Parts: sequence; C-alpha cells; structure tokens
Amino acid sequence: MERFATLSHAWMAWDGPAPAPEDAALDHTKELEKFLAEVERRAFRIAQVSLRDEDDALDVVQDAMLKLARNYSAKPSSEWRPLFFRILENGIRDLQRRRTVRKRWMSWLPGPKEDPDEEAQDPMDNVAAPGPDAPELLMQDQAMRQLEESLRSLPARQREAFMLRNFEALDVAETARAMGCSEGSVKTHYSRAVHTLREQLGEVWS
Amino acid sequence: MNEYSRGSIEERSRQLFDASVDGLDMRVRSRLNQARHAALDAARSKRSGFFSVPAWTSAAGVTAAGILGAVMWFGSPMMHQLSASHPAPVAADAQNLEDLDIVATSDGSSGDAIDMLQDDIDFYQWAADKTANADPGTVG
Repeated sequence: MERFATLSHAWMAWDGPAPAPEDAALDHTKELEKFLAEVERRAFRIAQVSLRDEDDALDVVQDAMLKLARNYSAKPSSEWRPLFFRILENGIRDLQRRRTVRKRWMSWLPGPKEDPDEEAQDPMDNVAAPGPDAPELLMQDQAMRQLEESLRSLPARQREAFMLRNFEALDVAETARAMGCSEGSVKTHYSRAVHTLREQLGEVWS
Repeated sequence: MNEYSRGSIEERSRQLFDASVDGLDMRVRSRLNQARHAALDAARSKRSGFFSVPAWTSAAGVTAAGILGAVMWFGSPMMHQLSASHPAPVAADAQNLEDLDIVATSDGSSGDAIDMLQDDIDFYQWAADKTANADPGTVG
C-alpha cells in the first residue's frame, strides 16, 4: 500500500481515482489475515522444534504476528513471508539467548534447577486432531520425534536454513532475507544440514 | 552408509512436518487464532490512526478558536481600551479620520490636499498633543 508523507497527500489521493481508503484497508486486512492463517501453524511448529516448549513457541509466534502487523503490514504482501520468518527466527534466537543467561544464573543459585524441558504438561495438550489411523499415527509421531531430535542437534543456522527452505519452501533469496545472510551462506548451511540429517536419519528411516 | 538419498530425506521430512502441523491440538489452534486476531486488531488500529486527526491538531484548533472568539468579542484591543476608558478621544479620532477622508477624496488635485495638510500642520500637532496629554474627561 502506498505510504503518504503528509495527511494532505492522503487527502489528494483520496480525491483521485484511487480506491477509497476504507476499501483498500479492508482488502489489505483480509490479505494479511489470510497470510497469517496460512503461516501460523507452520511457524508454531518451527518455533516448537527449536525451543522445545509449546508456550514459548506460541509466545514467539504471537510476537512475530504482532510485529509484522504493526510494522510491516503496509509493505507489499509478497514481502511478508521472508519478513515474518526473519522476525520469528530473531524471536527464537532471543529467547534461546535469554534461556542461556537464565540457566547460567540459576546454576549459581541454591535450590531446584529450572528446566523448561521438564515442565509438567497437561495430558490433554497432546490430544491430536482427527487424522490417520493409530498405527500410522504412531509411526509418524516416532519419525517426527527423530527428525526433531536431529534438527535440534544441528547448529542453529543450519537448522534455520533447512526448515525455511524445506518446510516453508522459501527460495534461496527469500531464505537469505529471512536469515539475514548471503545466499551463498544459505546454500552452505542447507547443504550441510541435509548431509547431517541424511547421516543421522537415513538408517533409521530406511 | 544409508539408503536415503538427499531428495528422499527432504521429501520425507517435509511430509512429516506437514503431518505434524495438521495434527496440532485444539488448544494450540485456539491460541494461534487468538494471536492472529490480536495482530489484525493491531494492524487495523494502526491504519485507522493514520487517517484520524492527530491529537495535537485538536489542541491547536481549540486554541485558535479561542483566540478568534476573543478577538471577535472584544474587537481590536486598542479600540476596546479607548472606548472603555476614553470615550471622548474616540470621537475625536473618528472626526480626524473623517477629516482625512474628506481631504483625501476632495475634488482638488492631490497637490492641493497636501498643501492643505501642510497649512494646518500646527493645528494637527496641537490637537494630537492635546489628545495625548489632556484629562479624558475635559477633552472634547
């Protein structure tokens, strides 16, 4: 959407042949809603794989959606995907950094250590939506856990490159924008990630 | 070492990821839905904020309206001061203005009008001094 330098410019545009701002805003909001609806669950899973925690993953995704809506919703919709995943990956990295600092401080304090990976979970949280038959679901679940473990064992940048390129189907240029690095780095990270995953999962999945 | 090709690993992992997305529980879906609506509200409020009148303009408008109202109510500040405490000079000033108007619009040439003013310059000087220094109640 066009940005106006002043309010008078906006009024001039209003008087011109351009669509009324209310209609344009409505279309834009609908487009943004469609984009967020498409991307939110996948973004959550990406964050969950990286953070190992459901609530943290939800917080990071919510934060990413808010930031995109507040700061970048006026940009062309074609730019939303790499921008959104860049915000998401930054959020994931920030949270991981905070965790590292928190763990360091907690190790100096007496008493029980906080471990977010061992938080008590509500069994109902694991109730999945209707899907394939139970045996197949079990196999899928097991394979996915193996994949998650392997992804977590990767260096962060390799994991990001693999998930953005493979899961989100971002091309090399979009992935580079989302990761804030060069296209060459994306190719390198991705290639190494695939190589490592093939080594780790090839035998398990074959 | 293994039977999985590069493409197979990518494809298999994508399928698993897609299945895990489809299998998300209702709690997560609900929270994501709420988060999406919160984000859309934020986008809407930002957009409506752009087209709304900024806060400072309303304050400036109130101030300008106040000043305009005061000026219209009280008239010129100098005229108000004179009319309130010096009614006679007002009449004298009005007469002077009227005289000047007659002089300026006389049928004679502009040179004649200037001559007339120069002839009576002492008178006008005196009248001005008198007006400025005299007691308001005694002038006129």
